[in-house]
Amino acid sequence: MNQDTTSAAERVGDTVNSEYIMLKEKIEHFFAYEGELLDERNFDAWLELFAEDARYWMPLARNVKHNDTEAEYTREQSDAAWFDEDKKTLLQRVMQLKGGDHWAEEPFSRTTHIITNIRIQSRSETDVTVKSRFIVYVNRREEEVRLFVGKRIDVLRITDHGFLVQKRSIFLDQSKLLFKNLTTFF
Amino acid sequence: MAKDKDVNMKCNSNDERLVDAEAGLVDRTVFTDQKIFEREITEVFGKSWLFVGHESQIPNSDDFFLSQAGRDAVVVTRDSDGEVQVLLNVCTHRGMPVCRYDQGNAKMFTCPYHGWTFSNKGDLTGLPLAKEGYCDRLDRKQWGLVKARVTCYYGSIWATFNDEVLPFEETLGDMTLMLRDFLQGPDGEDDGLEVVDGILKFEIHSNWKLGAENSAGDLYHDVSHNSVQRVGIALSGLRGRHAWNADKHTFKTLNVAYPEGGHAARVNLYDDEQREYHSQWSQIPEVDDYFREAHDARQKRLGEKGRLLNRGGIVFPSIAYNSANRWQITLAVPRSPGRTEMWKWYFVPKKAPQEVKDALRHYLLRYGGPSGMVEQDDIENWASAQVGAQSLAAQHLPMNYMLHMGEAKWAWPVPWLGEGAYVDEGVSEHAQRVFYQRWSEMMGHPVRSRGQEESK
Repeated sequence: MNQDTTSAAERVGDTVNSEYIMLKEKIEHFFAYEGELLDERNFDAWLELFAEDARYWMPLARNVKHNDTEAEYTREQSDAAWFDEDKKTLLQRVMQLKGGDHWAEEPFSRTTHIITNIRIQSRSETDVTVKSRFIVYVNRREEEVRLFVGKRIDVLRITDHGFLVQKRSIFLDQSKLLFKNLTTFF
Repeated sequence: MAKDKDVNMKCNSNDERLVDAEAGLVDRTVFTDQKIFEREITEVFGKSWLFVGHESQIPNSDDFFLSQAGRDAVVVTRDSDGEVQVLLNVCTHRGMPVCRYDQGNAKMFTCPYHGWTFSNKGDLTGLPLAKEGYCDRLDRKQWGLVKARVTCYYGSIWATFNDEVLPFEETLGDMTLMLRDFLQGPDGEDDGLEVVDGILKFEIHSNWKLGAENSAGDLYHDVSHNSVQRVGIALSGLRGRHAWNADKHTFKTLNVAYPEGGHAARVNLYDDEQREYHSQWSQIPEVDDYFREAHDARQKRLGEKGRLLNRGGIVFPSIAYNSANRWQITLAVPRSPGRTEMWKWYFVPKKAPQEVKDALRHYLLRYGGPSGMVEQDDIENWASAQVGAQSLAAQHLPMNYMLHMGEAKWAWPVPWLGEGAYVDEGVSEHAQRVFYQRWSEMMGHPVRSRGQEESK
């Protein structure tokens, strides 16, 4: 996972100013809205929040020696992953979900996405990189419960009409997936 | 308990068998009973060759990764002499795992409890208190890590801890044709595949046999995959999930089972060995070009056997492979009657350009595993079937495997499938019957569930 070097000023929050707060507020709103779309199964509207060149990636985690942390997550664009998607394949997944014949999600699960610990890592004129944590609760049919917890790094493109997800990296805190399926978006 | 007695009579006809393969009946308790499960660990997993990984995962000396042989955790190493070793991940002193990393590079493994240290050949090399505690009398040879017998077969690594099990190729029998074909990759070259880094591990609430029998030859369950057929993930520019569905060449779909070992494969057998390449990757012309050339090379290399398109199958008991441009191995790790871990290795052709490897990787990741658009629905099926296996009210009804009973023929329709090949065509449950027959043989016959014992 990307380790950013944080200055002392950032650690104590001295870089937080009104501009930062306003931007963070907008991002929080964006993430809450996005999570709500997923929880309300409005997958089409959710997908519209992704840039045409978006990437959506969830590597595998591995248990490695303390000084071998580079190998902890599988490498992007060369190794296996839980998800390694572009917008076109995300659309295929949405189409599969919506058809009523995708039995792993028919009937739909009930989900709640909680996005928290939002921190702006960097920003430029065109985009902003945001670190956050997520908790996703999934209840399926009667008794199936899944709880996904992890970290996210989002690169959001700043447009005239708000943010677009340009890249989402999702780091699940499980090396062995403790559940049978990953039918939920993060 | 009179009712239970009736149950026994019904399920097990005359001789108390839980499996009646000829009649296509399998008792539900084989999926749920704890005693049967414990017996499987010993009699089936303990007496079979088990896939533990691929040599491309440990290219350098001292590379290692953790794997599973049945219920036992193992360390697969390439030792300092370049030999592949499969070592039980259990310290011989107090039973701790000596390796707690999924992968890495190490010349030795030290148990964190008392410091016993083992080389990557499994030898006990470091023994604290050797002199003052053990008076130099502890026989280090006797206390090395438990070492498995290992067979490397065209890059794949197989292990067993049992000295009695026949050599690997003998247990495969005529299945060697299929396994070798899988490992050859698209151009028919031996050792043609390499692993995409990262083993996908996930947990299902199903008996391990449900996933295994599905891979043996269940072509009946296509209805489960309507959702992905409808959306399409094949890169042929067509809907669906495989390109061969639209192949213009004529072929028979065969279920090929090898009763002696319990192995099975499902294949297309084309009428024409010199058939031309059927485009599977038309959306990415460069990738299509690679596969066209590979196809031509393969047909030339294999001659008549090039008529075979190996689609996937199972090496008994629990190693499922997928072939034909979606190379993967899925290992079922038995944890309890109703809980199984699935471990998945993806493969790409070793010599292919990066572009081809990338295209295949993306296809595989969208196809299989808990995030795969195809396998998500399979996993749902197995978990749901487990619910049915546990039903009390349905215990008197065995599971039904009667489809196309009595139609299989030996070494049909071509003799080079092997004398041990028992074959039928199309949608059938014949390979599952063979799978459960072999399972039943290995388990020995009077296997009783707890319920049956109580009824006596």
